[in-house]
Amino acid sequence: MSEFEPKIIAFCCQYCAYNAADTAGSMRLQYTPNVEIVLIPCSGRFDVILALKALQSGADGVYVAGCLEGGCHFLDGNIRAKKRVVYLQNELKKIGLEPERLAMVNVSASQGPQFAAYVDEFAGVVKGLGPSPIKKQLAA
Amino acid sequence: MVIGGGIAGIQSALDLAEMGFFVYMVEKGPAIGGRMAQLDKTFPTNDCSICMISPKLNDVGGHINIEILTLTDVLGVKGKEGDFEVKLRKNPRYIDMSKCIACGECATKCPKKVSNYFNEGVDTRKAVYVEYAQAVPLKFSINDKECIYLTKGKCGNCKKVCPANAVNYEDKAEEVTLKVGSVVVASGFDVFDPTVAETYRYSQWPNVITAMEYERILSASGPFQGHLIRPSDHKEPKKIAWLQCVGSRDVNRCDKRYCSAVCCMYAIKEAVISKEHASDLEASVFYMDIRTYGKDFEKYYNRAIDAGVKFIRSRVHTLTPEPNGDVTLEYIDDLGERQSETFELIVLSVGMTPRANLPRLAESLDIDLNEEGFIQTQPLTPINSTRPGVFACGAVNEPKDIPTTVMEASAAAEAAGRVIAEARGTMTKTREYPPERDVKDEAPRIGVFICHCGINIASVIDIEDVVNYCKDLPFVELCTNTLFACSADSLGKIKDAILEHKLNRLVVASCTPRTHEPMFREALAQAGLNKYLFEMANIRDQDSWVHQKEPAKATQKAKDLVRGAVAKAALLEQMYQTRMGLTKEALVVGAGAAGLNSALSIAQLGYPVHLLEKTDVLGGNGPKIFSREKDVRGYVAKLIKDVESHPLIKIYKNTVPKSSHGFVGNFETKCLGPEGEFSISHGVTVLCAGGHAHKPNSYLYGENPNVLLSLDMDELLATNSEAIKKPGQTFAFIQCVESREPERPYCSKICCTHSIESALTILDRNPEATIYILCRDVRTYGFREKLYQEARSRGVRFIKYCLDCGKPEVTAGPNGKLHITIKDHVLNRPVLIEADCLTLATGVDPTPMREEIVEVFKGQLSAEGFLFEAHMKLRPVDLATDGQFLAGLAHYPKPLEETIVQAKASAARVATILSKEYIMVGGVIAVVDPEKCAVCCTCVRACPVQVPKIVRNETDPALRGHAFMEPAMCHGCGVCVSECPGKAIKFQFFTDEQLLAKVEAMIVEKKAKPA
Amino acid sequence: MIICERKPIDEIKSFIAGKKKVLLVGCRGCVTVCNAGGTKEVEILAALLRLDAQKDGNELTVDEFTLERQCDPEYIDELADLVGKGYDAILSMACSVGPQFLSRRYPKEQIYPSLNTCFIGGALAHGIWTEHCQACGNCVIHLYGGMCPVSRCSKSIMNGPCGGSSNGVCEISKEVECVWHLIASKYMDEGRLSEFAPIQPIKDWTKSRDGGPRKIVREELVK
Repeated sequence: MSEFEPKIIAFCCQYCAYNAADTAGSMRLQYTPNVEIVLIPCSGRFDVILALKALQSGADGVYVAGCLEGGCHFLDGNIRAKKRVVYLQNELKKIGLEPERLAMVNVSASQGPQFAAYVDEFAGVVKGLGPSPIKKQLAA
Repeated sequence: MVIGGGIAGIQSALDLAEMGFFVYMVEKGPAIGGRMAQLDKTFPTNDCSICMISPKLNDVGGHINIEILTLTDVLGVKGKEGDFEVKLRKNPRYIDMSKCIACGECATKCPKKVSNYFNEGVDTRKAVYVEYAQAVPLKFSINDKECIYLTKGKCGNCKKVCPANAVNYEDKAEEVTLKVGSVVVASGFDVFDPTVAETYRYSQWPNVITAMEYERILSASGPFQGHLIRPSDHKEPKKIAWLQCVGSRDVNRCDKRYCSAVCCMYAIKEAVISKEHASDLEASVFYMDIRTYGKDFEKYYNRAIDAGVKFIRSRVHTLTPEPNGDVTLEYIDDLGERQSETFELIVLSVGMTPRANLPRLAESLDIDLNEEGFIQTQPLTPINSTRPGVFACGAVNEPKDIPTTVMEASAAAEAAGRVIAEARGTMTKTREYPPERDVKDEAPRIGVFICHCGINIASVIDIEDVVNYCKDLPFVELCTNTLFACSADSLGKIKDAILEHKLNRLVVASCTPRTHEPMFREALAQAGLNKYLFEMANIRDQDSWVHQKEPAKATQKAKDLVRGAVAKAALLEQMYQTRMGLTKEALVVGAGAAGLNSALSIAQLGYPVHLLEKTDVLGGNGPKIFSREKDVRGYVAKLIKDVESHPLIKIYKNTVPKSSHGFVGNFETKCLGPEGEFSISHGVTVLCAGGHAHKPNSYLYGENPNVLLSLDMDELLATNSEAIKKPGQTFAFIQCVESREPERPYCSKICCTHSIESALTILDRNPEATIYILCRDVRTYGFREKLYQEARSRGVRFIKYCLDCGKPEVTAGPNGKLHITIKDHVLNRPVLIEADCLTLATGVDPTPMREEIVEVFKGQLSAEGFLFEAHMKLRPVDLATDGQFLAGLAHYPKPLEETIVQAKASAARVATILSKEYIMVGGVIAVVDPEKCAVCCTCVRACPVQVPKIVRNETDPALRGHAFMEPAMCHGCGVCVSECPGKAIKFQFFTDEQLLAKVEAMIVEKKAKPA
Repeated sequence: MIICERKPIDEIKSFIAGKKKVLLVGCRGCVTVCNAGGTKEVEILAALLRLDAQKDGNELTVDEFTLERQCDPEYIDELADLVGKGYDAILSMACSVGPQFLSRRYPKEQIYPSLNTCFIGGALAHGIWTEHCQACGNCVIHLYGGMCPVSRCSKSIMNGPCGGSSNGVCEISKEVECVWHLIASKYMDEGRLSEFAPIQPIKDWTKSRDGGPRKIVREELVK
């Protein structure tokens, strides 16, 4: 069987994280293709339903990336996002899904290298967890 | 009138046009774009140069208030400031621009091959040609000195094959006269021709090339489609050497005394990019001083060292060819040993020289050139030529990099606009769009364009595969590929496709929406479609560029991304913006040289200014500076007087901003002054929070009275102190004190010049003095190099040290002397200097208020603590938030003349907003559905900027009220949407339905196309 | 409003264990305002239940519907068609009135609560709710500076404070402010301490729960 290639959706805020991903691109930093980015205006727009839907559709991991704490373009969108992520991690744990499949990071627009490193690290964690049980069931 | 269509001319023209003036852009070539269009990548961000400038080209090309005159020469300028009469000659293109469809049939059939100057002669093109794929205007032209028909009267192939009947051999030059109020000269530079420097055998050996040729070789649209191969045998070179200062800092062979200011950085960039092309490639840079003095440059240099680029301090004296095309370099290394090493390709880091036609242009403009052949300006009026009303910006004045050029271009726009301020808005036109087609009730018909981006995308992602795959996605009517989606002809094709296929949604898979979305939206509007019916898939920056070694996975990812974009596009809705008034006043924070200049320029353009200063004096660092070249103190004193006496400027001393909210056009800032808190309403903000001299903890500073900082020495010089005039005195300077070290890694740009100026002033007054300057790299960029030469010729001793071989050591000796020990780089042994006075060049720290400033105005700081501009290369005066600008040391350390330029540039940027009668609001914002609103106040409490309010129902006050967000105030973060318990708030363009559909589509493999 | 809180997911899961088709009914009344049972919470709970089932390969359909209110029969009626489609369980995301009204109207259905009904109160800030009323049926807050000792005093004493009040907080927890301290402070601040002094007679509790389940009939309204 070929190596497990996780599918990860990353919600990136437009001012920092999405910009950092572009910066990583302009620096040609190579990172895992397992992560696919969805642009959201601010990580505060991240909604638990987006993560739930992603997991339900078979994503192996969901990543939320916002500005550095204190650096949110909209003051505290990233703090709110963080709280929602923690809330949902708890709920996932309660229904028996690994909370590690959901994570949040903070990067600034210039932090292309960090972005690439974070993404690789998260993909590594998800790889370690193996395919999401939902995906296994969808495939069955 | 703006002369020159490079980045300088483009920025100037766009600023002027947005300020409300009509602009003629005169370009002597067939298309605008200038040097930036030729570059592959740009430092220090490694952004693709053409990708950055392409949207700007289209902005100019499509701007209703800019008229581009290509193939046009300036013959003469009569009249005076405010009322010039310009005589131009429009040279024949031999192609009717209104008919040419840029299909290229003519070039295919043209039998005449000539050297392709756009590719620096590395390959050939035809006598009928376009310079490059993204050219604006994208129209062919015939070179009449090359064309067989026009020279010999035979051939005529192009006329025969042209399907549009656009070829006109009878086209004649035409003289026209224009009335303009002011002139901006931005005609750029020539690349130094190294043929005259015989050592390098440039014209004899194919594998000795210029850096500009190398740029074209690296470029995806260049002669080798971006494959890194050498000209002689098309072999991939594994060992490349860059030779610095060819045609710069060299008075022996080519009489170019000055430093060309950009070559160190571009050589490092080329070395880094080359190593990206082939990781086993060896890259060596032979240099005299590495001059990485700009923002993030030093970091870039350090990264290059880490990446394995070798830096060798030596000027190569002999080049010998090898039979296989390689070249052997002989040089003397740092220790005086002879070395020789063979390379497969030699890149000459050639400098900038004045345009060959500049003397003629200067004559027709009646302006002076300086002794180096560039346009003459003065240090404190860096963009004013010798003729009032004629301004100059960019490399036409002095060699410089792109960000400084862009700043100068905006500053020139400010100056040119100020001259004719009264004419503002009198000649401008407004854009008419075709009526918008209402597609609300139509089923989605999606057009998908997959961009190759040259080879940027296509070299990794299998475009054909993606195109075929996406054809069958739901609602996709049309799916096709395009070489450069952003080029004028592709935009034309997109518009045509919208009309022809009755498309009502558009997806472009190319680069990032951050830079290109506005351009594509404009294309939609021009095709009569609501501009929000557009979605991008980022398959370059976030796919092909970051998965270069995994083409199969990158292709799969591209399919996923396009599938997601298509799914979202199907659910996109028409959205409308509305007009909103603005406060035509500016807030300037900080009253140093930057803030004073910014405030004065804005006021002179006719807008009221509120100027905040945290201390009780104006001027910042200005009154502390002494310069041998210019009367800085007098200048600052006059500036303060002008600001204080200007009726439109209100000064608030001892006042700091406490909080700020609002948005472009309508900001409200709470300030704390001596009389307590008060509020200022303003439309724009300029942050000029400044910086200050770093206070070191080394070299006995603060312990020994004879150890000074640069500004202390300035005080001695300004007061003409006797303390420096004693016979037999020895002065020492130490450069890079606590700078360019891991704790403070950046270069402060000004200190080398500053110390040398001080040294020269000491020598002026005390000719017998002995002066040592202990330095690392001497960074006297541009014309400052002349000071370095003067200092050396007058006996100032420069001793180089490096961090590896040890910093100088300073101890207190007897009789008040300072004992400085340093390892001499020539003698290779320690020497002891007994100095009477030691000056420490410590560089610039960002303001200690930086954290508060960033918090109040929601900005971002770089790792070094300087404000983060919107884009390092092309938006060096803008902050990320619309309506906020910056200038001076808050941005990065810079000399006074550059601060003046940036401050004036900020005024031009401010005027592009304040000159408008209204701003457009709405679009990507949160909107409440009153029917669903539970009036629970969640949004009111969750909003970070207190926008939502509970209002009465407008249709019937007796009905239940609902939450309401003022469209002009909503910042568009979406926090409320994600909290609303009744799901009553819709975030336009990022609705739940759209995002959920996108996410699901990205994860779940293709769904069948509905029947 | 009535402040509710969602039950732990485990408990909700136990209600629907083995069931294949579930209807989740939200309420746009109090529980939307207190972020416990509006459209959004319905959506999230439904997604969690689906995810849980999917993970284990269990077949489960969760349909979502949010009613204007669940404490009025007319709105409950709106569910008739949907209920007719046959659900193994109906989960109400309203205060406990909701599942009771649902049970009364649809006696054959298995109805479960998915919220815990906590108290009558209000939101101090986004995400924070406190109890302000116990529905004693005989409001006396005018006697106590506009504050309710019945709901806000841990002992519901009517002539406080008790000896457990210290530095403005109740002895049971530092998180609970002593309402008697607040009442006394208010009178002191207003210089009306004398009005605070009289000992109040014993409260009439007959209108409270002590008389059994309560009912209000307004004859002029009854048809």
